[in-house]
Amino acid sequence: MKKAKPYTLLNKAEPYLWILPSVILMAVFIIVPIGYVFRMAFSTVTKAGLVRGFCGFDNFAKAVGNAKFGMVLKNTIIWTILVVVLSTVLGFILALILNNEFKGRKIARAIVVFPWATTLVIQASVWKFIINTDYGALNTLLKSLGIIQQNVNWTPTPEAFFAWEIACGIFVTIPFVCFTALSGLQSIDHSYYEAAIVDGANYWEKLFNITLPLVKPSLTVATVLNIIYVFNSFPIVWTITKGDPASRTDTLVTYLYKLAFYNGKQGEAAAVSVIGFLILLVCASFYMVSTLKKGDE
Amino acid sequence: MKKIICLLLALVMVLGLAACGGGSKGTTVTMIAAQYGPKTADWWAEFEKKFEADNKGIDLVVDCVSWNDIYTVVNTRIANGQAPDLLNIDVFADYQADGLLLPAEKWCSAETYAKFYPAFLDQSVVDGVVWAVPDLASARAMYYNKDILEQAGVAVPTTWDELTAACKTLKEKCPDVYPWGIDMTTDEGQAAFAYYTWGNGGGFVDDAGNWALNSAKNVEAVEYAVGLIKDGLTNSDPTNDTRYNLQDLFCAGKLAMMIAPNALSSQAGEAGINYGFAAIPNNSGTSVSAGVMDRIMCFDNKQSDKQMEAITKVVDAFYDDKPYSDWVLMEGFLPATTAGGEACAAADPAMGAWIDIVGSAKFYPTAKAEWADVKQGVIDVEQQALQGGNVQDLLDALQAQVAG
Amino acid sequence: MADNIRVNWGKLLSRILLYFVVVLICLFILYPYFVMVCTALKSRDEIFAMKGTIFPIKVMWSNFADIWVKAPMAKYMLNSIIIAAGSTAIAMVCGIPAAYALARMKFKGQTAFLGFIIVSQMFAPVVLLIGIYKVMQIMSLTNSLLGLIFINAAFNQAFTIWLLRGTFMSISAEMEQAATIDGCNRVQAMFKVLLPVAAPGIVTTLIFIFINAWNEYTVALCLISTETIKPLTVGINIFNGYNMIEWQYLFASSIFAIVPVVILFMSIEKNLTSGLTAGGVKG
Repeated sequence: MKKAKPYTLLNKAEPYLWILPSVILMAVFIIVPIGYVFRMAFSTVTKAGLVRGFCGFDNFAKAVGNAKFGMVLKNTIIWTILVVVLSTVLGFILALILNNEFKGRKIARAIVVFPWATTLVIQASVWKFIINTDYGALNTLLKSLGIIQQNVNWTPTPEAFFAWEIACGIFVTIPFVCFTALSGLQSIDHSYYEAAIVDGANYWEKLFNITLPLVKPSLTVATVLNIIYVFNSFPIVWTITKGDPASRTDTLVTYLYKLAFYNGKQGEAAAVSVIGFLILLVCASFYMVSTLKKGDE
Repeated sequence: MKKIICLLLALVMVLGLAACGGGSKGTTVTMIAAQYGPKTADWWAEFEKKFEADNKGIDLVVDCVSWNDIYTVVNTRIANGQAPDLLNIDVFADYQADGLLLPAEKWCSAETYAKFYPAFLDQSVVDGVVWAVPDLASARAMYYNKDILEQAGVAVPTTWDELTAACKTLKEKCPDVYPWGIDMTTDEGQAAFAYYTWGNGGGFVDDAGNWALNSAKNVEAVEYAVGLIKDGLTNSDPTNDTRYNLQDLFCAGKLAMMIAPNALSSQAGEAGINYGFAAIPNNSGTSVSAGVMDRIMCFDNKQSDKQMEAITKVVDAFYDDKPYSDWVLMEGFLPATTAGGEACAAADPAMGAWIDIVGSAKFYPTAKAEWADVKQGVIDVEQQALQGGNVQDLLDALQAQVAG
Repeated sequence: MADNIRVNWGKLLSRILLYFVVVLICLFILYPYFVMVCTALKSRDEIFAMKGTIFPIKVMWSNFADIWVKAPMAKYMLNSIIIAAGSTAIAMVCGIPAAYALARMKFKGQTAFLGFIIVSQMFAPVVLLIGIYKVMQIMSLTNSLLGLIFINAAFNQAFTIWLLRGTFMSISAEMEQAATIDGCNRVQAMFKVLLPVAAPGIVTTLIFIFINAWNEYTVALCLISTETIKPLTVGINIFNGYNMIEWQYLFASSIFAIVPVVILFMSIEKNLTSGLTAGGVKG
């Protein structure tokens, strides 16, 4: 793919100049704030939020020692895996469909953008409005279609609530995956397919031998970033249940938000976020090691 | 593409410069105010304008923040040493504990100070000093739908036994209606704890003012409330239906009885509900109303004398009888000043009854430093009990955690 | 002959199936918006009466007009556009060179830089609020649109760089090298040769950043306190009060908030589809 160029001293400095603006931007606006999180994680923080001195791993011990921590961690992992896997599969299928030539494709594509063009807080509010037992739009719809007679409680258990939250998460994530995949699909040269057709390949052979390998790079990147964003996603769970009842539907982020701003334990909250960070770091390093090796081939 | 990007960039720079410039001279007073309802922000904007016109040289900046976000906003500012001068919120003890507040006498003129109901000021005392002044109050009572109760042939319940019996009859006679509303959400689950424990002679603290969360009376009270839910006598999802959802249900005629603040009167009236209100049913023979009070406090930002003077002017202007009673009536709350109380009672006779109720109400122990833990703790106990947890064990654990 | 007809039947069937699936998906996606529109058209009384009807009994078009009076919607919208456009511009200006360097040059610390980009994304904005506020305070950017623009641009660097790097890498370097031989320098070669060919990827990236910045809520909420410079996401909270949520206004204003994004998308969708038809040497 790439061809090495002869290096001079000036050439050596050049790449760093190219990445410099980006590095500065991220360092100032993200890395410095991350530094503050670490500082708080290792400090005693008063309820009003004042930092008072180093306290070692106290905050971590307290955070992990909480009986709920294990459950919240489990929820977070279930949430992340289900949302990412299902939205990736469904989003890719949707991209394949929208990649066909058909009348009204432009409109269909614009419609798919909708869930993404809506702020998550509003999106989650609508879903909460839809699944409500007493005045929810879903019950109204099914009743007027004659499918049900009485209002159905769609969320009788915490698990059911969590399932709806996951569904909502998938709904809002699909457009992102879909358009990443679509832009990958668009840049595949038709000559590949023409050659395959000459060879007598069927639809599935084309899909697995040409489409998937060529879309894979952009899709893997999107998936890695997706894992991070979904893992850290806040508004859906917060708007629909606030983690109630008794943290059964909490993920790490909603849990630490309550710790920080409802219980006034910002030190512990910072510790929880550092733990979440470490989990993501481990996951990402697997990816980094495998992909970048390939990339450097 | 390139052109568009260049254009955008230029636009951004110009706007950025515009946003940075324009600093004003004179004294600035900053304030964060809680957004009680749709009219709050407008009211403050109006107040700001009028105040600045009356007091040349003082720049008042009021930031109106919704209750969903106010703790986030305030804590972020405090952590960065950017506390506002004045803050209108419900709690104060955490800020006081960190030495961030100024005593009320430093910034509240004697004239204004004399207007408050003394019982309200008592709620903001730590170490014998008043740290905040009440901006408004609300009290809770049991609202009931007269038509539904009549249809089921049920009398207004006054005791827990009557309440259970009434709910059972209602459930039988009016299957489309929820008999009783309970809110055990993260929003306001502590209120449920207060209603039932106070109605059973228990509560958050004992007579000496020490935490007494796991008393036998409290256990009985929580078990009673959880029992109502488990017997299907309440709204379907008490850990997710906030009081606002319940109020909506009540106003739609789908909930027969609930405990709510006086603000429900106007909402139910507008919705055409034939409602009444009565004392909260109890099990101890004495009915206790639950009072809620919000506050205004002043942060110690090392203000100059001139700034302190300006702050006092803002506070005085806010509690001036006319604007103040407008403020209170606007969102249907109860006044915290005697003059305001008289004005409100004169404007609306029904308010008179409420002002009496709030006078006898019990308040949350918000002045105690552990309040935030207790508040979240009792909500968690309720929610765990609903998932099958043992109330006694849960309250024992909470008491041990809080009282150390 | 007969064979031809059979093939056409199969094609027709798959066409019908395609349309059927597309319509089904669109209906499903539109359902929440259908609910939003119906609710936005009801009067407050009707919503709270819980009559259990799908469509409004009395259509209140006035709700859509009222929000412009009840809140400075036009200002909110302008602010959102400035923030989203500004963030996109800065993210691109910083991101394109970085992605180019990663795709076309070899240098020490390349892997480390890629790792650094990913790591920068690993904390939720909610967690970073306090630190962000501190940085903004030092730079005197609290309560300014410029501050939000920088934050959003920074948060979207990972997206920008990774997506663009992928796009650039999938395009052969041969044409740029040819251009360099013709006397272009690197920057010229990038602008003249690479960027036009990479248009679909760039457009996708643009949309991503724009939408993310358009929807950002948490940071804007904490940084912006002046009513007149609030973005839409934060501003429409005015309808989400302490006593009750004004669903009809909240949903009406949310529908307006979707419109600019959809228009933007429709207007550059062409680039997304045109693909690489213009040609270019594939790697």
